[in-house]
Amino acid sequence: MKFEAEVISWLPQLRRYARALTGDSAWADDLVQDTAERALARWAAFRPNSNLRAWLLTILRHLYIDQLRARREIAVDDESAPWRNLEAPPGEVDGLVLRDLQRALYCLPLEQREVLLLVCVEELTYQEASVALSVPVGTVMSRLSRAREHMRVLLIEGPTRKSAPLKVVRNP
Amino acid sequence: MSHNDHDPAVPKPPDLEALSAFVDRELPDEADAVVLEHLARDPQAAAQVAAWRAQKAALKALCGAPPAHEPSFIVLRAPVPWWRRAGLAACWLVAGAGLALVLGPLAPRLSGGLIGHDPMGLAQRADIAYAVYTPEQRHPVEVAASEEQHLITWLSKRLNRPLSVPSLQEYGYSLVGGRLLPGEAGPAAQFMYENPTGSRLTLYVTGIPDDETAFRLFRDGNRRTFYWVSDHMGYALSGPISEGKLRTMAIDVCSALGGKPESWQ
Repeated sequence: MKFEAEVISWLPQLRRYARALTGDSAWADDLVQDTAERALARWAAFRPNSNLRAWLLTILRHLYIDQLRARREIAVDDESAPWRNLEAPPGEVDGLVLRDLQRALYCLPLEQREVLLLVCVEELTYQEASVALSVPVGTVMSRLSRAREHMRVLLIEGPTRKSAPLKVVRNP
Repeated sequence: MSHNDHDPAVPKPPDLEALSAFVDRELPDEADAVVLEHLARDPQAAAQVAAWRAQKAALKALCGAPPAHEPSFIVLRAPVPWWRRAGLAACWLVAGAGLALVLGPLAPRLSGGLIGHDPMGLAQRADIAYAVYTPEQRHPVEVAASEEQHLITWLSKRLNRPLSVPSLQEYGYSLVGGRLLPGEAGPAAQFMYENPTGSRLTLYVTGIPDDETAFRLFRDGNRRTFYWVSDHMGYALSGPISEGKLRTMAIDVCSALGGKPESWQ
């Protein structure tokens, strides 16, 4: 009973993370639902006094990767990716336009996006992120620094970057 | 503390990982001070840290707000799927092992669900747990009897009361091990026994809010379950053996566990 209540208390944070990760609120809601159900069904696998949130995030991650794989098999087309249809967030923070930031976020590979979101948005410690992602702390650190740098470069280069490889043909 | 001239003793400039950890305040104090000092001398690194800090703040602004259309509920179908899953798992196990013998008694449960309700859900849970786990060849238990002390300590901790495993050796059944299961009102433990011919019995133990000393029999197909409650603990002994024999063993188990079988004998 107490375990269920604790799981439920983490749902809003899980939902926020799932939405940021997938860029698709319907998908995110399904993910959170599946995560909660799986957690409650597998409660016996949870070690008391360990980090419940990190455990939930791990479950969510596995489910997401499974579902991502399943969806990729159907739609390889990046143009139809859920974040293409996201409403552009208005506003500007510290000189960064949120719209550009959003675009850059979904250009990152999943491994970089998830670590960036866990640490920057969900404010997990490196230790907690290492549990949630099932990788050593050193990997969290290196992946995170690469994600930040990747993101910074994407933001500097701007939205035209994607079509750049098509412009190699030049008239001498 | 900021010297403009380079001191050869100064460690090499922090790498990207260190700068990144600096942004998240994850560096130990000493390393943190080293980076801070370096930033004063290295405008490029300082610009990088500033860019990453802005990035972090922007990400928080982008994703940090709680979702706007928060569903007020989540569909928790946990209690139902457990039964269904148990039934389904049993079905697969049975099919996998080719134990058509067990399939017969199980089939009504899978199709009809649990309609008839016994006053003690305990016996049903114990019976289903028996059906699900005893056909398992490779993983019948989570902790094997070879680690009996660990098994008892672990399950006692999870059930929050001291447990003991009664011996059924005189009936030819030795302990295989045990596992933790979700019970009706909290965790439950299942201990499994096996005789030399491979026939298995389970003892199911869980906390019970009310305290009565009834001793009852629950039948499902060829399986029998004797169950009783003693000192807020529910016990159920299940197996596909004759009622008389199982009853004798249950009485034995009850007294071995500190119960008073005299009261219902």
